[in-house]
Amino acid sequence: MRAFEFTRSPKRSRVAVLLAAISVLALAGCDDNGGDPALQVGANPPLPAVQQYLMPPIRIAKAVGWGKDETPTVPQGLQVHALATGLEHPRSLYVLPNGDVLVVESNGPKAPIFRPKDIITGWVQWFAGAKVASANRITLLRDTNGDGIPEVRTVFLDHLNSPFGVALVGNDLYVANTDAIVRYPYQEGQTSITAPGTKLTDLPGGPIDHHWTKSMVASPDGSKLYVGVGSNSNITENGIGAEYERAAIWEVDRASGAHRIFASGTRNPTGLAWEPETHKLWTIVNERDEIGPDLVPDYLTSVKDGGFYGWPYSYFGQHLDPRVQPQRPDLVAKAIVPDYALSSHVAPLGVAMYNGTELPANYRGGAFVGEHGSWDRTPLNGYKVVFVPFSHGRPSDPAEDVVTGFLDANNHARGRPVGLAIDRTGGLLIADDVGNTVWRVSSARPGSAPKPAS
Amino acid sequence: MQHMRMTGTTFIGDAKPVSTVKPRGRPILPALVPFPIACFAGAFVTDLMYWRTAEVLWERFSIWLITIGMILGGVAVIAGLIDVALGKRFRTLGWPHAVGYVLALALSLLNAFVHSRDAYTAVVPTGVTLSGLVVIILLVTGWAGSVLVYRHRKGVAL
Repeated sequence: MRAFEFTRSPKRSRVAVLLAAISVLALAGCDDNGGDPALQVGANPPLPAVQQYLMPPIRIAKAVGWGKDETPTVPQGLQVHALATGLEHPRSLYVLPNGDVLVVESNGPKAPIFRPKDIITGWVQWFAGAKVASANRITLLRDTNGDGIPEVRTVFLDHLNSPFGVALVGNDLYVANTDAIVRYPYQEGQTSITAPGTKLTDLPGGPIDHHWTKSMVASPDGSKLYVGVGSNSNITENGIGAEYERAAIWEVDRASGAHRIFASGTRNPTGLAWEPETHKLWTIVNERDEIGPDLVPDYLTSVKDGGFYGWPYSYFGQHLDPRVQPQRPDLVAKAIVPDYALSSHVAPLGVAMYNGTELPANYRGGAFVGEHGSWDRTPLNGYKVVFVPFSHGRPSDPAEDVVTGFLDANNHARGRPVGLAIDRTGGLLIADDVGNTVWRVSSARPGSAPKPAS
Repeated sequence: MQHMRMTGTTFIGDAKPVSTVKPRGRPILPALVPFPIACFAGAFVTDLMYWRTAEVLWERFSIWLITIGMILGGVAVIAGLIDVALGKRFRTLGWPHAVGYVLALALSLLNAFVHSRDAYTAVVPTGVTLSGLVVIILLVTGWAGSVLVYRHRKGVAL
């Protein structure tokens, strides 16, 4: 509101306006050096003041790919190997009951150009290896003899439309394309689906489709599908009208296709998972950019039915975003503070609650989070898979790095982790959309190291 | 309208071209100068509209007008330099015109960055302030330049 008074008052001298403008510009210098990213992990992260840029910093890791025999790094007691290589921009993973692994190879639709800035953004994404055309395909991997190397690799589903979420309920396989949920008939053991799909419901898609991924999980009883729908902008720069039913988690009735908004104000909820102890729904959310290297932390949170989590009006509760007008004090007043900050700009794009037995016992009950990595701060943040320990259904300790080494010594990206899944035997699977690989993390046992995938 | 009339009727005696290079035709610059000015003035209007409505389409008009204004302004500056290099003389360009024009271009470059922010603070308060400032500078230096050229017959070659 101060801005309104400032501009409306004709009595203020022109000199004051000029000085104000110049000082704002001076303050808007290119400070991209954030604090220690670890400080912003956990509940109640410190939040600095909003910073408005003249030129937003672009600090993205150049994509270089994995060299021969290079793999990510895991702590002692774990091992990692490539389950499949040579994929096309794998974004998410789903494990079928018979152990088959579905790899969703996908990318966003072509972004429209509204402003000169959008042209620059396109160049930056190309530089980061994020501009490849969408394969729009799901590949199936099957490991018949249990040696960790799949013998069967088939095209499971093709001609999709920027798919991301997958969920199986009984014999119904649901794929969340960017613009619709489509149902396919599936019989256990099938290695490809040729039957045409049936649309369950439309989802908010083009023409802008700024955040295109639609994450999805089925409710434990199978009656509902929960869908994470990202916002259509960074911070309403495409107008509030473009945000209708976006930045929300939908609850879709599986029988009728009808939906309601289960939770809102979640800018880009890219992953959904059920907490195994309390059976509550949890999500990872990508928060807003361009107000500083330490704003706003992305987060992991339980999702309350009817809850509002701030976007676009505020963040982490009642911290107002000055870029949003008109404001909505009524919504801000009820904005929920997320449970657990993951640090700023780490870009969590995959979450998996661990309930298996393959990995050491300390991982049981906690959450793995795949952090795709930052593009607008120094030092780079994310580019790893972290583990958030849980106790009694809530995060209990600081997050720890589990899979690292996605950046090389020159801060170039050999890979970037995205979707996660736990396979049938309890191994952690990681989709890597720059390395075009699916990695599998398992417990290290003497003599058990599998041969690398060919 | 007064400006137009004066352009048609005033003869500037001491600005007669005396160039060793015979200029072929008129200088290109005067034909290009008005376009960026129209863009920047338009951007101020669309900024005011955005400030009143918070409707993003106005902000998009503003940033494109500023960008196109800068591109055309750059073309005009290059054309002016070529004119000077070819020894063409200007009848209606005083030094305040040139200074105002360059200042307006510089501020518009800043303004383009401000307008590339997302949502409201792309315009309010800094963006619309800069847009207004550019229009004021163009008006003041345009007027001062005209006075020099027409009243005091100080129209000088660049």
